[in-house]
Amino acid sequence: MTTAERVVERFEAGGHGAYVESYDPRDEHMTINMGPVHPATHGVLRLLLELDGETVIRCEPKIGYLHTGIEKECEDQNWRGAVTAVTRMDYLAQLFNEQVYCMAVESLLGIEVPPRGKYIRTLMVELNRIQSHLVWFGTQALDLGAMSGVFYGFRERELILDFFEMVTGLRMNNGYFLPGGAWEDLPDGYERPLSKILEIMPGRIDEYEALISENPIFLERTIGVGAISKEDCLRLGATGPIARAAGLDWDIRRDMPYEAYPEVTFDVPTAEAGDVYARYQVRMVEMRESVKIVQQLFEAMPPGDHKNMDPKLMPPSRAELNRSMEAVIHHFKLMTQGYSVPAGEVYAAVESPRGELGCYLVSDGGTSPYRCHVRDPSFVNLQSLPVMVQDGMVADLIASIASLDPVLGGVDR
Amino acid sequence: MSAYQPEWVQADEWRALAARLHEGGWWLADLCGLDATDLGFDHRFEAVVQLLHREFKERTTIHVIATGQPPTAPSVVDLWPTARFMEREAFDLVGIRFQGHDNLTRIMMPDEWEGHPLRKDYGVGKVPVEFIPQPFMQIDGPGQSTMQGEAEVRLDHLGQVTETSGSSASDVQEVTSS
Repeated sequence: MTTAERVVERFEAGGHGAYVESYDPRDEHMTINMGPVHPATHGVLRLLLELDGETVIRCEPKIGYLHTGIEKECEDQNWRGAVTAVTRMDYLAQLFNEQVYCMAVESLLGIEVPPRGKYIRTLMVELNRIQSHLVWFGTQALDLGAMSGVFYGFRERELILDFFEMVTGLRMNNGYFLPGGAWEDLPDGYERPLSKILEIMPGRIDEYEALISENPIFLERTIGVGAISKEDCLRLGATGPIARAAGLDWDIRRDMPYEAYPEVTFDVPTAEAGDVYARYQVRMVEMRESVKIVQQLFEAMPPGDHKNMDPKLMPPSRAELNRSMEAVIHHFKLMTQGYSVPAGEVYAAVESPRGELGCYLVSDGGTSPYRCHVRDPSFVNLQSLPVMVQDGMVADLIASIASLDPVLGGVDR
Repeated sequence: MSAYQPEWVQADEWRALAARLHEGGWWLADLCGLDATDLGFDHRFEAVVQLLHREFKERTTIHVIATGQPPTAPSVVDLWPTARFMEREAFDLVGIRFQGHDNLTRIMMPDEWEGHPLRKDYGVGKVPVEFIPQPFMQIDGPGQSTMQGEAEVRLDHLGQVTETSGSSASDVQEVTSS
């Protein structure tokens, strides 16, 4: 019997069998598919579950349903154009993808970003971190039955996305950074919406905490659920809030600082339990710390250029195009062919909302990346899911996936 | 970021070096495949390993040269279990076989896929996106799957057959769902 016939047979038998992969009558273990289309898998994650009643005996993530070949796509773009491709990987942490890629290109080119460029980029990614954590907060609450959590989380996320739209022109997949800085300076009048966000955010985070931090049902569903030890985190490569919630005191922003992080002060929250509730606490504090970082950057925003003004890398300004034919030629050359980057390779890493986001970039001296590999934290963190859910209930599996906060665009790239 | 100093090792030296590095507290941050055709080396395939030492706050890069046909390198899953997915990805997209990996299967591409997309001789935009038969399609005859190379059936977005080649259109029947 072929696969297609087997599937047809399952559908004809009432549809119930469509999710069951196999059934072992001896120990009554049933292997079923959860996903790839399932509201609690946050995308198109497929989990192959071996169940004994409601207890998970074995869990195997099957991925690749959202594979779009972005790494291959980058090899076809010029160095600046690949930003547009990488920003679509982890679509909730879009600016982090751009940042890590741009840092890698800058390091290959050996150029510096002016201080204002660094500040703008750091400010924008920290807002992006809050935005990403707000989506996590909403879905974590929603998956555990606290329907209203998602309304609260998305309410503030909208403010941040509106700010992104004001600065970059787009709400998501911004394509705002470029090797050497940011495309545009912050627009006139950006201070008012930003200070408004900074003013209301701490109060709104208090509101979320009041909503579910001490909710008995939430506590029941999260404390001791999906626990993972610090050793397992190290072994399986889990980073970010998952590792910090298990007691691994490591944050690239603090320990190997980059961009404008050396100039700001912030705390790195950690917890010991390693369970879903510990990850909840860590992310909540991280949001507050991000607000603090944005506040400091906003107050100390230096004047000057927002990008490296090297004429070999940056297209000439609009005003110059009106005056000079050479500028038009130069603009055309940069826009169609792009610039060359010296041969070499580099690995850059930043702390994304989900952990270590790395970009390994190889140049053969040409005008497009020879190889662009992104180490996406969602992809690596997913390996710790089987450990978290082992011998737990199926309902607890949902809590674990939500607290893992995987973005399948980043997992499959 | 400190000075970037990659190192190249042969595949047969990698296990011993990896064991030493693991002992020394290095943590595997990333592993990916690289097709170095145009980079001017004698070899073609490499597995590129990024390591991080959290106490020294240092990173290092090791290139493991995968030789042979198919290119082969030893697996380090037993030392760093985090490499399990990464080695599968390098196998899937670049085609490096990791000896000792317990489940070296495709991770991004469908299981039936032929070729390794991140190789430099794999064309861009030449392979149409095709899907395995849907439950409502019953396809008889030799062409069970619509893989590249011998594409028999193509479906448009409504599931209608738009193009057949290699076998006649009568091989394809719509099965009405009951």
